Amino acid sequence: MTGTIVRKEILSNLLSYKFTAVIVLVVVLVATSFFVMARDYKERLADYQLIRPEPGAPIAVLPPNPLSIFARGLEEAMTRSFEVGAVGIDVRAGQSSGNVIFSFFPTPDFVHIIKVVLSLVALLLGFDAVSREKEAGTLKLALSNAVSRSSLLLGKWTGNFLSLAVPFLLVTGLGLSVMAFDPALRMSPGALGRLGLILAAALIYIALFLSLGLLVSSLVRRSATSLVVLLLLWSVIVFVLPNMGSLLARQIVDVPSVRSLSEKRQQIWTREVLLSYGDRSGWGARIQAMNEEFDRMEEDYRLKFNRLVRTSRSINRISPAASFVDAATEIAGTGVSEETRLKSEVIRYKNQALPSLARDRTAREAPAFSYRARPLGEVLSDGGLFDLAWLSVFTILLFAAGTVAFIRTDPR
Amino acid sequence: MFRAVLAKEIRNHLLSFRFMAVFVMLMVVIPVTVLILSTDTLRKREEYSRRQAEIQAYLGQYAHFNRLFAVISPSQPPIAMLTLARGLADDANINAFNNDPLPVMFPLIDLVFVATILLSLAALVFSYDAVSGEREDGTLKLALANGVPRSTVLAGKFAGGAIVLFVPFLIALSLGLIYVLLNPRIGWSAVDGGALGLLLAGSAVYTMVFYGLGFLISARHASSASSIMTSLVVWVVLVLVVPNLSPYLAELVNPAPSRIRIGREVDRMTDVERDELGRKLSAERRAAVIRDHPALADVERMSESDIKATIARDPEFAWAYALFRSASEAAWKEANVIQGQKAQVLREELGRKEEAQTRLALNLSLASPLAGFTYLATDLTSTGMLNQRHFTGLARAWARNYSEYVQKKMAEMRQADPTVDLWNTAVDVSDMPRFVYKEAPLADRLRAALVPFLILSGMALVFIALAYVSFVRYDVR
Repeated sequence: MTGTIVRKEILSNLLSYKFTAVIVLVVVLVATSFFVMARDYKERLADYQLIRPEPGAPIAVLPPNPLSIFARGLEEAMTRSFEVGAVGIDVRAGQSSGNVIFSFFPTPDFVHIIKVVLSLVALLLGFDAVSREKEAGTLKLALSNAVSRSSLLLGKWTGNFLSLAVPFLLVTGLGLSVMAFDPALRMSPGALGRLGLILAAALIYIALFLSLGLLVSSLVRRSATSLVVLLLLWSVIVFVLPNMGSLLARQIVDVPSVRSLSEKRQQIWTREVLLSYGDRSGWGARIQAMNEEFDRMEEDYRLKFNRLVRTSRSINRISPAASFVDAATEIAGTGVSEETRLKSEVIRYKNQALPSLARDRTAREAPAFSYRARPLGEVLSDGGLFDLAWLSVFTILLFAAGTVAFIRTDPR
Repeated sequence: MFRAVLAKEIRNHLLSFRFMAVFVMLMVVIPVTVLILSTDTLRKREEYSRRQAEIQAYLGQYAHFNRLFAVISPSQPPIAMLTLARGLADDANINAFNNDPLPVMFPLIDLVFVATILLSLAALVFSYDAVSGEREDGTLKLALANGVPRSTVLAGKFAGGAIVLFVPFLIALSLGLIYVLLNPRIGWSAVDGGALGLLLAGSAVYTMVFYGLGFLISARHASSASSIMTSLVVWVVLVLVVPNLSPYLAELVNPAPSRIRIGREVDRMTDVERDELGRKLSAERRAAVIRDHPALADVERMSESDIKATIARDPEFAWAYALFRSASEAAWKEANVIQGQKAQVLREELGRKEEAQTRLALNLSLASPLAGFTYLATDLTSTGMLNQRHFTGLARAWARNYSEYVQKKMAEMRQADPTVDLWNTAVDVSDMPRFVYKEAPLADRLRAALVPFLILSGMALVFIALAYVSFVRYDVR
């Protein structure tokens, strides 16, 4: 019986104006984003060839991450070049563009499109699944036959889920196979596995919004009301909560600003230059002491900052959209934890390269910087799995609530 | 008649569920946003004054001209407007090692965001069934069966919906503003009030654009179920796609070389190439001098000490050798100038191309009302591109004053003690010119916001006119 309902849902979707409109939107957006981000990646790859450090130079630069085509996250911050100098780490912003409009409106990546547009589309498919049939009077006809309410709901859910998931996976697969023809964009099996995991997370995320749509649709009488409720919920979940959460965390955890840190560093450095003037003998020791002071400041800052990040993420987890973005970027290796880890590796590298620099500023005998992104297992155990589980639990709860609401609904 | 339609429209909306829902959401989101942003601004203020005090303390003890500039480099104080709008606030600090990843992942919320996303969405939710919904209910043909011209129905519906939509926004905002005004530490001024007034005018027009658009779409569809779909798809395109793709499209049309590539090129020109050219030029010039002065015939093969000895011995050689040296120096200087000019040309070209690209991106993005409103709002609140230029101008002017001050101070120091090390001696800089930030005058901000405002108004008018045409041709059965 459920099979019949699934087929009926898919067929009625295929014939509807709504379905055409939203699927065209999804297909065009995903394809455009792939094209734009892949081209951007190739440009960054060309730039990386230019700033690649020569052997022995105390510079740490990561090559662009191919998965940043799909989940940009903190890619820009992670591919900057970190040059170790006598007084710490000099940062050259890598790929910055002179086009200021980019800072108003960054290019949407795949994860962003899933987070914003696909969730909206899932709601649009689900919002009138029950209330429209109630209005049209077909619900009572269906229920007067020997079909249980739960199998009817399950059929509706599956039908709508398939009508969104299949086109979405198709266009994604098509985009990926087009990309596979370009040797510069070819991805390792590991990266493809990670991409598969991101897609799985995306499907859970879509399922969540579809369940939410069915729940609200069964709760209210009219589909117009259901739509208004869902649109408002959507804007709160996708935009308001995550964006407010990180601002709220900042009020709870007091972290000094980045600017104050760099100002203090400048002050210490110029002070030491003045005090050591005319007495070059103790310069090496002074550099050592200065570096220790910087490291202390740094450590203190990082401690506070990590607390801020944790608080912010915990608050943001209220919103499934934030959970999804966190999980997807961490899996892609462009997330907040990965970036934090990279920074601590760079600091360690600085301490390695510093002794030879303190002896001779022009020394070119630093070890090469090597960084390997965390293996997938570690990413999952360090919050990724929690986010995915959290999304799944959310989905199941919403679906359960939807079932209850549907069982109690009055089909007349 | 118009008033009857208007009153009915307002009453209808006020009693509707969607009005309740939008009202409640705005009443929660806006005051909470303003509250959090106010706390944030106060925290930033406190930190700013602490930082300034630290710089003062430093200057009292360790000021010396070597690298002093790096310590006192200008920074922007948090302005009162940050309680409402964040604009291009550089929270991410991508140029510092300890950059902040959180705002990159989740852009922080502010009033401009609330207006651009939530208000536009609400405008479509209010207007998608203005025509098609009434047709479905059958009330539209009843209304038109009476002696009501279609233009009156349209005007009444339009005015009613826009008022009902904008008033909750105003109420919610004034709730937040009360907190800002009652908090003397924020220092809200009359100019800020004026800027906010203009911003509200802008957001009214922005709302009208989307209301008109929803109305137009409603009058093009027979059923409200399909009109909401079209509305939402158009909304996604206008709000999420057009602005975000326009800088990229501009990059395709007007490409600029990457900054990294140009940086490397400039490095090569002023380093390796300069050395080659310098060697070549100086060899030529030296050869010319040697040709003219036979006394120098062997100079290229002589050792340093031989040259010194010959200079002491032979006055003619000494004179010619001075010529020889200065020819070489002049050649190197020339090489520096030539390569410097080449690099300058390259840099200027990059600047020109980036400028052209930015302008194109700006113009393309203006096709989206969201982008227009964002520019208008950030410029009015001095958190946008205008303020960036303004701040750079102020910082440059201050840097000129500062370097004049340094010259003067150094002259004084030299007078007091000719042998003093000008750069590495502690000095008293209490009379140094201080960097003072003042927001750009309201007139300038208004001028910057005028173009987007006019474009938004034009869009609103076009949508309303099209809605009128479609409504007149609408089949009400």
